[in-house]
Amino acid sequence: MNARMLQSRCAVFALVLGAAISGAVAQEHEVPAPLAARPATPRPLGAIGRALAAAPDGAVVEIGPGVYHEHLRITRPVTLVGVGMPVIDGGGSGDIVEIAAPEVTLRGFVIRNTGIDLDKENAAVRVLASRATIEDCVLEDILFGIDLRDAPDSVVRSNRIGGKRLDVARRGDGLRLWRADRTLVEGNTIHDGRDAILWYSKGVVVRGNVSHNCRYGLHLMYSDEVTIEGNRLERNSVGVYLMYSAGVELRRNLLVNNRGPSGYGIGLKETDRFVITDNVLSGNRVGVYIDGSPFTNKMPGMFRRNTLACNDIGVTFLPSARNNEFVDNNFIDNIEQVSVAGRGNLSANRFWVGERGNYWSDYTGYDQNRDGIGDFVHESQTLFENMMDREPKLRLFLFSPAQQAVEFVGRAVPSVRPEPKFVDEVPLMRPAEVGLNVRPERGALVRLGGVGAALLLVGGLVLGLARTPRDGQPANGGVA
Amino acid sequence: MTAHAASTARALDTRPARPPAMPANVLTIALRELRDAVRSRWFLLYTLAFAALGLGVSYVSALGSGGAGLSGFGRTTAGLVNLVLLVVPLMALTAGAGSIASDRERGILAYLLAQPVSRFEVLLGKYFGLAGALLACLCLGVGACALVLALKGEATRPAAMLWLVGLAFGLSLGMLSLGMLVSVLARRASVAVGTAIFLWLALVFVSDLGLMAGALAFRLRIETLFALATANPLQVFKFWSLHSADATLDVLGPAGLYAVDTFGDHVVWLFTSVLAAWAVVPLAIAAVIFSRRAPV
Repeated sequence: MNARMLQSRCAVFALVLGAAISGAVAQEHEVPAPLAARPATPRPLGAIGRALAAAPDGAVVEIGPGVYHEHLRITRPVTLVGVGMPVIDGGGSGDIVEIAAPEVTLRGFVIRNTGIDLDKENAAVRVLASRATIEDCVLEDILFGIDLRDAPDSVVRSNRIGGKRLDVARRGDGLRLWRADRTLVEGNTIHDGRDAILWYSKGVVVRGNVSHNCRYGLHLMYSDEVTIEGNRLERNSVGVYLMYSAGVELRRNLLVNNRGPSGYGIGLKETDRFVITDNVLSGNRVGVYIDGSPFTNKMPGMFRRNTLACNDIGVTFLPSARNNEFVDNNFIDNIEQVSVAGRGNLSANRFWVGERGNYWSDYTGYDQNRDGIGDFVHESQTLFENMMDREPKLRLFLFSPAQQAVEFVGRAVPSVRPEPKFVDEVPLMRPAEVGLNVRPERGALVRLGGVGAALLLVGGLVLGLARTPRDGQPANGGVA
Repeated sequence: MTAHAASTARALDTRPARPPAMPANVLTIALRELRDAVRSRWFLLYTLAFAALGLGVSYVSALGSGGAGLSGFGRTTAGLVNLVLLVVPLMALTAGAGSIASDRERGILAYLLAQPVSRFEVLLGKYFGLAGALLACLCLGVGACALVLALKGEATRPAAMLWLVGLAFGLSLGMLSLGMLVSVLARRASVAVGTAIFLWLALVFVSDLGLMAGALAFRLRIETLFALATANPLQVFKFWSLHSADATLDVLGPAGLYAVDTFGDHVVWLFTSVLAAWAVVPLAIAAVIFSRRAPV
C-alpha cells in the first residue's frame, strides 16, 4: 500500500479496510441472519454495507480479503473494489448484490451461494440502473449470475460465472440483459448455467466469451444490431440461438460439440439482416439451423467463409427458409451436408453467387483448367439421404457398405435418382481461406504417429516370429 | 525320421491318459498354422489390399478435410470402418473356410491327425494360428493408415485407431469361427471358400438391404429393427466403433436413440456378448461335428 495510492483515494478507505479485515475474522463464525422479505425490513448492515454507507458519492471503496456473509444494496454511485478476492457469501438465500444507482463499478469479488428460488430469480448480481461495470468477479454456486434490468451502457467484463449443478430446468441464466442497450459483454466465462440471454437490448457487443455446459451458450430475443465476435461456445445444448432479432453479426466464433436435444451450433429463428462470417462449427448435431430467416427481404442471409465440419448435419433448412446466400464456406465431412426438414427443396436459397461457390468435401468432379473451380456442378442428390429424409429409421444403416450400395444404385439408375436438393454451379476445389482456423495440436499428431508405428511393430513382430524357421524342422512343417 | 516315428509311437501309447486339450499341443499347432498362414499367398494379398485401400481412404480424406484439423466421426473414421466391414469379414471367412478343408484335400489333415493330438486341439490350434495372422494383418494395415494420417496432419484420435484394430479383431474372430464351421462341413476346399464368399455377401449386403426394405415396406418397429440389426456382427462392429468414437449412438437416428435410452452405457455389454457369441458358437458346433465325423 503506497502513499500515493492512499492520497488518491478518499479518507474512508483506511477506515474501511481496517474494519473489513477485523470484521472478516469475526464474520467467518457468524451465523448469517435469516433472509427477511426484502424490502419490507432492511437487513442489518454487514462490514461492506457499513463501508458503503459511510462512503460519499463517487468514492472508491476497497475491501480486504475475507469471507463476508451479507447481502448488499448499492444505492449510490461508488466503485467497490475487492483486494485479494474477498468473498461475499449469500448463505444460500436471496440475491447477493443489488446495484440500484447508476455508474457503479464492482470489481474483484468472489460472490457465491445465492438462493435457488426460480420465481424470485435469485441472482448474484442484479443491476437496476445504467452504466454499471462488473468486472474480474468470480460467481460461484449461483442461480442467476449477472442480471441487468433496464441497465443500458453497462460493461460486464472478465467475470467467471458458474451456476449451481442443478437439472437444466431448475437453473437460472448465467447472464441476462433486459433492456440493457449498448452493453459490452467481454471476456467472461460462463458454465453450468441455463442461458446467457439478451432481451430487448440494442447495440450490444458480445466479444471473447467462453461458455460451456449451459443450455443456450448465447440467446438473443428481440435484440437488434448485436455483434457477436470471437466467442467460444462448446458442449452447450445450443451454441448461439438468435430469435426475432435483426442486424446481427456473428464473426470468428468457435461453436463446437453443442449436442443437446436440438444441438444447433447456430440457430436462427425469424431473424433478419444477419451476417455470419469466419465461424468454425464442428461436431454439433446441426451446424446451422435456419427457421424463417431472413424474416424480411431487406437483405439476404449472409454466410461467408464459415467452416462446417464433422457435424451430424451441416445446415438444416426448414421449408420456410429462403433468400440465404452461402459463399466461400467449407463443408467438410458432415454426415449430411445440407438437409431440408420435411419435404421441399432449397431453390429459394443460393449456394453460389457469380463465380464463387463453396467447398464440398464430397464433391466428385475435377478441375481440368486449374482455375480452382470444379468443372462440373455440385449437385446434392444421394439416394440414401433422400430415403433417410423419408424414413429416419434408416439412419441405422449409415456408414455401412449397404448404404454405399444404395448410393451406387442411385447414381447408376436414373429412374430412382432423386431430385437434387440444391446445386452449386461453381464448387471450389480447395477449402476457401477462412478467418478462423483450428490447427491440430502437435502432440496429438505425434501420439497418432506413435500409435501407427507401434501397430506396425506388433504386426512386424508377428511376421518375424512366424518367419524364423525353427531349428531342425523342415520348412513345410511337421508337428512336434 | 526313425526317431521321429518312434516318438510318435510312444506318444500314441499314452494317448488315453491325456486330457482333451493340452495347451502345449494347441500352441504348437497354432504356431505352425500362423507360420503357414503368414507365408501363404492369401495373407500377403489381403494384407496388401487392406493396407492399400486403407491408405487410399486416409489419404483422400486427409486431402478432403484440407488440414482443417477438426476431429470427430468424420470421413476418415467412417471410411476405415467401411473398409473393415468390407474386407475383414471376407478375409476371416475365407481363411477359416480354407483351413480344414484344404488340409483335408491335400492329405495333410490325415497326417496331422495321425500325430498324438486330439481333433479338438487341431481345430483350436488352427483357429488361434489364423487369428494371430489376421491380427498381424490388421495391425499392419491400420498402423500404416495412422502413420499417413499423422503425416498429413489429420487429427484423428490415436485411441480411435486402437479401438478400430481391437474391434476389427473381435469381428474377425466371429467370422473366422463361422468360416471354420463351413470348412468342417464342406467336402472340398473350393466348395468351402465358395460358401464363405456367399456368407460374406449375405452378411455385408443382403441382410442390411433386406432390413432396409423391411423397414420401408413393413414399417418395422424401432426395437425390432435394432434387435435384427444387432444380430449381425458387422452391424455390432459398426455400432461399437461409433460408440467408441464419440460415445453417441444417436447419430444413427431413432433406432440409435432407442439403444441409448434403453441400454445406456450397458450397450457395450450387449455388443460384447453378440461378438463373443459369434466367436464361440460356430466354433463349438464345428468342434462337435469335427470330432464325430470321419475326417478324411
